[in-house]
Amino acid sequence: MSHDATPPAWAEHLLRLAVGAGEFDHLSGDLLEQYRVTVLPARGPRGADRWYVLQVLGFVWRGARGWALLFALGFLARTAFDWLVPTQHFYDRALVTTITSASILFIAAFWPAWRSGSVLAGPLFGLATTALAAPLQIAGTLALLAIWHDPGTQAAISGSGGLDEVFALPFLVMLPAIVIGTIAGLLGAALASLRRPPALRA
Amino acid sequence: MADTLGAFEQAVLLAIVRLGEEAYGRAILQEVQTRTGRDVAAGAVHATLERLERKGLLTSRLGPGTPIRDGRVRRFYRLDPSGRRALNEARAAVDTLWRGLRWPLKGSV
Repeated sequence: MSHDATPPAWAEHLLRLAVGAGEFDHLSGDLLEQYRVTVLPARGPRGADRWYVLQVLGFVWRGARGWALLFALGFLARTAFDWLVPTQHFYDRALVTTITSASILFIAAFWPAWRSGSVLAGPLFGLATTALAAPLQIAGTLALLAIWHDPGTQAAISGSGGLDEVFALPFLVMLPAIVIGTIAGLLGAALASLRRPPALRA
Repeated sequence: MADTLGAFEQAVLLAIVRLGEEAYGRAILQEVQTRTGRDVAAGAVHATLERLERKGLLTSRLGPGTPIRDGRVRRFYRLDPSGRRALNEARAAVDTLWRGLRWPLKGSV
């Protein structure tokens, strides 16, 4: 058992962003103790570091998965609507889905930033939400295609931007998600600093 | 009737019962891993503890850290009466389902 072995510092920082300041102390203590007492002797330094990083990613995944599911469902609902109820005027639909998607990303990023008091938590969770949503969006789109692939639907797909757009969009939104996440992170961290007693403000 | 408990929730609550005064995050994780024989994610245990506390089945308090964890605090958990009741009901429900059957099941049953 090594009392001075430490997991990667960046992973500890990521944990702080994922779980918030209030939970960080006891959770990081639990992980550190498990790392030193159980995992390191059994798996060695590289294996123990890998274990630690996976545990931290698990916390990020748990924090973002609900929002990712909501984000993916919104995307799939819009896709199905465009395919099954075709239109030539996409502006209204685009407005509604853009505002909805941006709002989901904003909340997904704001909450961890407010909880951790760190701006960085915003873009992290904005990106994590879209990254987790992307496979769901792709799989959902393939399922929609498997169910509806008649000539009428094919024409509606072409008229609404084509399959290329549907499969590219889940990845193209990652950059805007980082931007929205940063804005939400700035706001969340600013409000969190107001919440703290004046003596503790940096 | 108390909340219906999932298998993992029961594993976590029973770990707290077994650990008694020493039921803090890492000890619970270790106990659940030992009893289930599975590699359990710390996040899964933490999420379950949070959910059970929200349901009012257990309470927690912060306690002192130790050198092995660089002095970082520990969160200790204790079963509430409603937690004990929920565990008893879960056990009784399983016993009722098994009543009249011989364990382990054999043959074509």
